[in-house]
Amino acid sequence: MNEVYLMLLLPVGCGLLGFLIKRLRNEMGFLGFIVTFYFALRIFLIFHNKTFAYSIASIAGIDFRIYADNLTRFILLFNSVFALLILLYSIITMRKSRGEDVYQLYLGLTLSGANGVVLSGNLFLMLIFWNMLVFALYGILLVGKKESVNAARKALTIVGVSDFILMLGIIIVYTIAGSANFPAEPLLSLNNGVMISAYMLLLVGAIAKAGAMPLHTWIPEAARVVPASTMAFIPACIDKLLGIYFLVRISYYLFDITQSLPVRMTLMSIGAITIVFAVMMALIQKEAMRLLSFHAVSQVGYMVLGIGTGIPLAVAGGLFHMINNAIYKMCLFLCAGSVEYRARTSELDHLGGLGTKMPLTMLCFLIAAFAISGVPPFNGFYSKWMIYQGIIELYKETNLWIIFLVAAMFGSVLTLASFLKMLHSLFLGERPKELDKVREVRFGMIVPPLILAFLCIIFGIFAEQIPLARLIYPSLPFFKIEPIGFWSAGLTTVLMLLGILIGLIIFIFGTALKPRKSKVFVGGEVLDTEEARITGPNFYSSVHNIDMLEKTYRFGEEGAFDFYNYLQGIFGGFGTLFREVINKFFVLVYNAFANIIISLGYVFSAVHNGELPGYLGWIFLGAIFIFILLAL
Amino acid sequence: MTNAGFVFDRISIFLTITFLFIGFISFLYALATIRQKGHRLEYYLMLFLIVLSGVGTAITTNLLWIFIFWEISTFAVWRAVVYYRQPEQISSGNVVFITNFVAAGLLLVGIGILYLDNNSLIVTEIKNFNISAVILITIGIFAKSVILPLYFWLVPAYASIPSAIGGSLAGIAENIGLIMFYRLFVNNPGIPENYFLIVGYFAVVSSLITGGSAYITNRLRYLLAYSTISQIGFILLGFSAGGFFGTYGAIAYILAHALAKSGLFYGVGTIEDITGEANIKNISCMLKVSPVLTVMMALLFSSLVGFFPMIGFFAKLMVVIGSVQKNILFGFFAIASAIFTLLYSDRFYHELFYGEKCDIREIKLEKKPGLIEIGVVFILTVLSLILGVSFYEILTFIGGI
Repeated sequence: MNEVYLMLLLPVGCGLLGFLIKRLRNEMGFLGFIVTFYFALRIFLIFHNKTFAYSIASIAGIDFRIYADNLTRFILLFNSVFALLILLYSIITMRKSRGEDVYQLYLGLTLSGANGVVLSGNLFLMLIFWNMLVFALYGILLVGKKESVNAARKALTIVGVSDFILMLGIIIVYTIAGSANFPAEPLLSLNNGVMISAYMLLLVGAIAKAGAMPLHTWIPEAARVVPASTMAFIPACIDKLLGIYFLVRISYYLFDITQSLPVRMTLMSIGAITIVFAVMMALIQKEAMRLLSFHAVSQVGYMVLGIGTGIPLAVAGGLFHMINNAIYKMCLFLCAGSVEYRARTSELDHLGGLGTKMPLTMLCFLIAAFAISGVPPFNGFYSKWMIYQGIIELYKETNLWIIFLVAAMFGSVLTLASFLKMLHSLFLGERPKELDKVREVRFGMIVPPLILAFLCIIFGIFAEQIPLARLIYPSLPFFKIEPIGFWSAGLTTVLMLLGILIGLIIFIFGTALKPRKSKVFVGGEVLDTEEARITGPNFYSSVHNIDMLEKTYRFGEEGAFDFYNYLQGIFGGFGTLFREVINKFFVLVYNAFANIIISLGYVFSAVHNGELPGYLGWIFLGAIFIFILLAL
Repeated sequence: MTNAGFVFDRISIFLTITFLFIGFISFLYALATIRQKGHRLEYYLMLFLIVLSGVGTAITTNLLWIFIFWEISTFAVWRAVVYYRQPEQISSGNVVFITNFVAAGLLLVGIGILYLDNNSLIVTEIKNFNISAVILITIGIFAKSVILPLYFWLVPAYASIPSAIGGSLAGIAENIGLIMFYRLFVNNPGIPENYFLIVGYFAVVSSLITGGSAYITNRLRYLLAYSTISQIGFILLGFSAGGFFGTYGAIAYILAHALAKSGLFYGVGTIEDITGEANIKNISCMLKVSPVLTVMMALLFSSLVGFFPMIGFFAKLMVVIGSVQKNILFGFFAIASAIFTLLYSDRFYHELFYGEKCDIREIKLEKKPGLIEIGVVFILTVLSLILGVSFYEILTFIGGI
């Protein structure tokens, strides 16, 4: 039990101490995160195939309890591993930057909150930690460029609103079911409108946290202005882990969505739309962080799609993709951050040819890019493969399976295309002159991407043996998961390595190493090297101009698909109605009432004229009135 | 313990402590801000009367006493509103006085009818509720505690009242009607269920409409006024929802709102003092002027919105639970109102403290924020935080557990 409390208190406690004692900031940060990792590892090893529940307090039937099972333990472990890697990376990148003094405090707060969410066995307790993360998110987003306040504000509003919706969902579940504990026994069925509404409200909380459409728009906005380590940790990693974790909890530990095809179709539609729309936006981006941020959104689509199928293999695939995404997306953000750190820009037009200057960063980026694109044998391929198979299995229930499959595969193709562009923009092609002095980043900054790239390989080649057998399948004990078809990661790897070897031989002994250099002419004029340079964004610039897409992109860039704008517009409209119509109506009524009283005052004032005959007349009239009353 | 219509139970002690504390904080803030503005004796007398009326209402179960404290409060608020003697303040004072006076008249008639029917003025002894009496008393409560459609007097009142006493108006005076509602109607078997449903709808719609109005307005004082009406509606929603969560949530919400709104009032008052501006469009970049005030105001707004770990989170959560248990529609409206609170808090906070043109050289200050002004906001913020973290103890204290 003490381990649990320490995992909740240590990260934020040490962050706070580091904030107060500046000289010991890094030491305190490491102490807190390493000890948390140690306890996470202990829990991971001790609670294999065991569950643990402990009640902290009980208020009017709400049992605030800690709960741990197989799903908890592996997410806890990854929370602390990723936090440790980010801390290591950010110690160098955040040095002497704006907000350096509070950065680790927010990292600690985020880790504590994330651990709290995962360790909660009751929706209300989870809501407390979930809400705590709003503070952490807002604070950490403020640490960035000056404009980061707008991104922080947007995130606060979107996540805050979704938290209230989540709160309502939790309360409805508690009111109807009489308990907010999970796992629910028996699972709640989605057989009436109220329960479906409750599930949908909880779903809003989950997808807002995970960053799926349409609640994703703060992520690309933040990407422009916050440090790479923040992007790598929050929207790319922790938010995905928590959002998808919660989605699995509500879909299979609280409700049983396998019984409701319409609910699953809703989930799958959200997933498919998120995949395609976000990747289409990524394709045309000209800034590295923003491009990656759209991929961070797009990848959530696969997880939601997989989990939404209700097919055991795809659900496991969705959960596996959550971990894989966190690994490669963190790696990509950190690599892009390293490039930005050295080149002082993340504009793709101003970058290029850094492969020879930053070989290790390029290697890590390459592996992670292949992983996210679903290239075998990397981890992203395996989880996507599981999701594809699950979608195909769906043919027994609906004919729409083909649409979801096409969306998922189309998204994967565009992801690859997008990363080819980014790879070229950062590491290949002609290098701008001003980047000649760029060199590889320091040890502390390259270690985290190297570890993550290594995990991309291991989780791909040994997918069945390590992550699936030890982490994912035990987390879904109610499913009997059987792989469909044939896939041998080992054999594929050997064959691919063989292919690469043959390619290398051709490369070395062919003409590739002896390129013919010539000047570039246009209309008889020699072009300047800089002018002739083909940058990555030129790859798909024509996509932007396709008739049908042009307007869509323009609308998208102008915020037509931004939930935040709609939220402000709708509530602003209601606000105007309330203030300018309803409120003014009541003021008018009051004024009319006040005017009557004032008029009466004038009348009474006129009546009291100070002359005796007038008063005598009133007495006489009063006497007649009383007489009539008595007579009646 | 009940004696001659006075009660010293946990809730009355809790409310007494709350009101005394808010009054003390108002006094502290006044020491720094009210000095140069004349009529000091009158100011402190009115502050004393507001605190007295709040404490008196909290500890009495006698309707006559409640009425007396009610009238004291009306008088004190009216004098506080016209404190500066400017024509627009006198006009605002008239609105305050007429509305509250008429409402008090109706309330008195209602109390009279109850007395005739029950031969007692002690709320615990009143079992027969004549429908006319209930309606008249409810109108009185609505006017006193600014519930739709009788809330409009608070907006001009807030625009005119000195900041130092504004916190007490928000934290004490407007709760008097709510306390009466709690004492007289909540848990009283003589009241039909439908009554609470109707009052609940009034409360939640009031909260929603004024929450929306707060989101649109550009004047700082108007924001505070609409926000107060909205939050008071939330508290009344809790009481009308009843049950464990609704009732105790509403009581806790009185404390949460009193702390947050007083703090915001003093924060806004400080900003008005140092900038000489009352319109949000003309103020920005206060972060550069006072980072401490920026953080404090962020936390106070968080409490108002209902973010953990501030006390507002738990109070709001309990009220929403109570509301959903009563009627699921209440829950939807309550959440919509909470979203409005988030939106207007977000807008005002960011426009005040950040804003477009954040250049310290462009900010014209009439003076710098004083230590007492910032200190008072600091105390209220820290208390909101500490009480949020130890909410379980609060619930235990008021007898909720």
